[in-house]
Amino acid sequence: MSSRGGKQKKGNVTSEQEEEEQPLQAVLVADSFNRRFFPISKDQPRALLPLGNVAMIDYTLEFLTSTGVQETFVFCCWMSNKIKDHLLKSKWCRPTSPNVVHIITSDLYRSLGDVLRDVDAKNLVRNDFILVYGDVVSNIDVSQALQEHRHRRKVDKNISVMTMVFKESSPGHKSRCEEDDVIVAMDSKSKRFSMGTDEFEIRHDLLDCHISICSPQVAELFTDNFDYQTRNDFVRGILVNEEILGNQIHLYVTQDGYGARVSNLQMYDSVSSDMVRRWVYPLTPEANFTDQQGQGCTHSRHNVYRGAEVSLGHGSQMEENVLIGRDTSIGANCHISNSVIGNNCTIGDNVVLDRAHMWNNVHISSNVEIHQSVVCDGAVVKEAVHLNKQCVLAYNVVIGPNLSLPDGTVVSMHHPEEEEEDDDDEFLSDDQEVGHSKDKTRQKAFNPAEVGPEGKGYIWKASMNDTEDEELAQCLWGLVLNPDPESDSESEASEESQDRTFQLEVLGTLQRGLEENIVCDNLVLEINSLKYAYNITLKEVMQILTRVVLEYPFQQQGTQLTTLQYTGSLLPLLKTWSPVFKNYIKRAQDHLDCLSAVEELFLEQDTHQTAMVKVLMKMYQLEILEEEAILKWFSTGATNDKSRQLRKNQGKQRMSLQRKESEEDESSEEGE
Amino acid sequence: MPGADKEADLTERIEAFLADLKRGGCGTGPIRGSGETARETTALLRKVTAQARWSSAGDLMEIIRKEGRRMTAAQPSETTVGNMVLRVLKIIREEYARSRGSSEETDQQESLHKLLTSGGLSEENFRQHFVHLKANVIEAINELLTELDGTTDNIAMQALEHIHSNEVIMTVGRSRTVEAFLKDAARKRKFHVIVAECAPFCQGHEMATNLSKASIETTVIADAAIFAVMSRVNKVIIGTQTVLANGGLRAVNGTHTVALAARHHSTPLIVCAPMFKLSPQFPNEEDTFHKFVSPHEVLPFTEGEILSKVNVHCPVFDYVPPELITLFISNIGGNAPSYIYRLMSELYHPEDHDL
Repeated sequence: MSSRGGKQKKGNVTSEQEEEEQPLQAVLVADSFNRRFFPISKDQPRALLPLGNVAMIDYTLEFLTSTGVQETFVFCCWMSNKIKDHLLKSKWCRPTSPNVVHIITSDLYRSLGDVLRDVDAKNLVRNDFILVYGDVVSNIDVSQALQEHRHRRKVDKNISVMTMVFKESSPGHKSRCEEDDVIVAMDSKSKRFSMGTDEFEIRHDLLDCHISICSPQVAELFTDNFDYQTRNDFVRGILVNEEILGNQIHLYVTQDGYGARVSNLQMYDSVSSDMVRRWVYPLTPEANFTDQQGQGCTHSRHNVYRGAEVSLGHGSQMEENVLIGRDTSIGANCHISNSVIGNNCTIGDNVVLDRAHMWNNVHISSNVEIHQSVVCDGAVVKEAVHLNKQCVLAYNVVIGPNLSLPDGTVVSMHHPEEEEEDDDDEFLSDDQEVGHSKDKTRQKAFNPAEVGPEGKGYIWKASMNDTEDEELAQCLWGLVLNPDPESDSESEASEESQDRTFQLEVLGTLQRGLEENIVCDNLVLEINSLKYAYNITLKEVMQILTRVVLEYPFQQQGTQLTTLQYTGSLLPLLKTWSPVFKNYIKRAQDHLDCLSAVEELFLEQDTHQTAMVKVLMKMYQLEILEEEAILKWFSTGATNDKSRQLRKNQGKQRMSLQRKESEEDESSEEGE
Repeated sequence: MPGADKEADLTERIEAFLADLKRGGCGTGPIRGSGETARETTALLRKVTAQARWSSAGDLMEIIRKEGRRMTAAQPSETTVGNMVLRVLKIIREEYARSRGSSEETDQQESLHKLLTSGGLSEENFRQHFVHLKANVIEAINELLTELDGTTDNIAMQALEHIHSNEVIMTVGRSRTVEAFLKDAARKRKFHVIVAECAPFCQGHEMATNLSKASIETTVIADAAIFAVMSRVNKVIIGTQTVLANGGLRAVNGTHTVALAARHHSTPLIVCAPMFKLSPQFPNEEDTFHKFVSPHEVLPFTEGEILSKVNVHCPVFDYVPPELITLFISNIGGNAPSYIYRLMSELYHPEDHDL
């Protein structure tokens, strides 16, 4: 690296100047392509949700502008009209704005991959660009990273395609998103993402800021690999194919500045509190960086921010880290701490707010207590309501009076079931859908036990034992606070179902192969392509293949076969397909895996256990399995009673097999 | 349309300046010195005067006031911007009065009689149109710019009167004015400078490096050692961010400590402050007085769990009350804190004090 370092410095000066003349571009993806904020983001796209009374996309644009971006492409999909309206009204679209914002909308974007493919198709970027989401809050000065990136590209002839910005933060920091917990292996010298190079460091103290500096090739690579959906796919693809394609990903680790992506409500809570505590300086509430009339507020001791025309009743206390929007009135003897209150809210007497996030036009009656909850625009909380931790009141919900909502309650004006019905097209047509869902809403009555006698809204969680809803609530607040083991099992379940479909596909392939008499090489090819399509490991392929083959007679002729019939039909099949097996079973470990798959199957089909030895014998004869492997499998300890039983049953025959084999060996040796 | 073009160019310049102000001063002290900010503001106001559409002094003052309000709101802690706006407004008033031929405006004597009888020239009186007003105002602003350019030199020139041989001088943080002041004195005299490092931003380190490059004997001390070292110090010379209307200071944090220690040891405390830092602000305007930046320097973001359990504040400025200050050295000479009110009324018009 150092020897190369010497060379590059000479030739760089002139070309760098050339490059700087081109305006710096950015791609801002104003859509999350997931449903983490769901009942809330049904009414408002995530990028427009207020954080400290300013829409999140404004933070991102301000970040881009302050790093010197001169041209930004904003891609929106879900509720693109609202985003467009917002941007057209904001300072970014004024003629004096140093950052020219182009808004590109399409209903067809379903992932980051689609967006970048569109970037490539429309040929929008000419040079290195910054890629961010519309919910990134940051004040990191990326110019240093940009310089390093350009430098690397000069030196290594465009090998480096992406530089990802990371911020140092130790594990346990509340602004670390648990879902994003990354462990990064990097080459300590070149700051490159590395996989098993000679010298690298593994770091767990990094926070992914979701800011990446990309070369124009990134868009092309997304086009070439149409299965890349997210940035993770991309990174994985690059790293796996590093040796083939020669592309590299670097990282830039910074200690200064702040950068985080609001990826769930947990992050929303912590980023909001960081912002109020001035970690994102100079993007503080009183700076009014969006330059909107009447948005200004004053900052006083203990991080209390007050907008214009705020009235505070007698005996009310704003303890610390409080932001109050303009025209908000607060009654007497209230106690407010660590909260953000939007514009035009009214709050009654004796209200306790702690870590509450209230958006605009919220009405809170007297004697209400709210802890760590989000109350969206237009929501009404009636007398003596108690919101426990992590409640979410979506748009225009009415709650109370005299009610206590348990932890993690999500209330929305949209009925959860209506959601499931039109699950498919929700990303496509928002307006239309909202329109006809309203009719349905009227049909279903509100449950007074859930939302109070005067309440309006539907509970979105737990009480119904619907897994999807549970997952949803979890998504809203992130995994940190509800560390639910279910999520793991669910993902496993989905994996299992994938295995299942793969198994069926393999079965179909083999069947067809038999019927149409296809050459085994082609079968292998087909199975291989299936393997990629379902993302199945080689080991699993082998296991599934073994299983499919051994089950084949049952599939064809019903389960009531006698052992004799079974072996009779199976053995020729094994002979036909032995090249397929040989293709997959190569290493010693493969043999053992195959054997364990055989064992597993015969444990299930315990009436046919006696057939096993014949199968093994056949496989040995066809040279699918090696002798040592079989012996090793036999000698290794059985894992449970049943398999011990199985082995015992096999034992006798096994011995004879063994003896026969050894005799054969001896005889062959003698023959020699 | 060249006229429209010019106007667009002007708004663009103003927007860029505002954005700069808003992002400026990211904790490690202002990116540019306040002198530079003052010059930029004045140059921008000159541009406004030259290019905006106005027919009478009243219009112009309204325009300047409007832009001034936005500029001061962009970064309330940067008072030089506001000060320059006030200076320009005062210039317009004077030029208008001169054009009218009355000496009323130049007569600054306030008396009870005057207060009772009239409110001075009110806005309606600025409606008269004068052909040469624009040229005159621009000329006067140019003079102001020349004055701004010379401030640091003017202050540095007085160094030899205050610094004597073999003295031990203490300073805190980094101030360009003080640096020039000390360097000027070092040309003739030999003395020892002690620099308090001024945590958490530690601008003192930079100051010490610069001074030692000019071959001045320099020692850096931790802020905690200020009191202990004070007994050896002959004189404390500091810079400031703003001189307030009551003669107090708003200076980088750590200054108050130094001032109190100096008072305890009866060491003279000299403040080097150019006139453009004089602000009509009083220290009781709590809302915009302090500036808090990211707590990163105090407790790094990498700390992890503790950050969710504590509140960390990182103020940038200290308030130093006027009774702790011995002398102000400005570009027009040395003054006691009690005389500040007088300078204030000479520099700014009382009607402009709040924009």
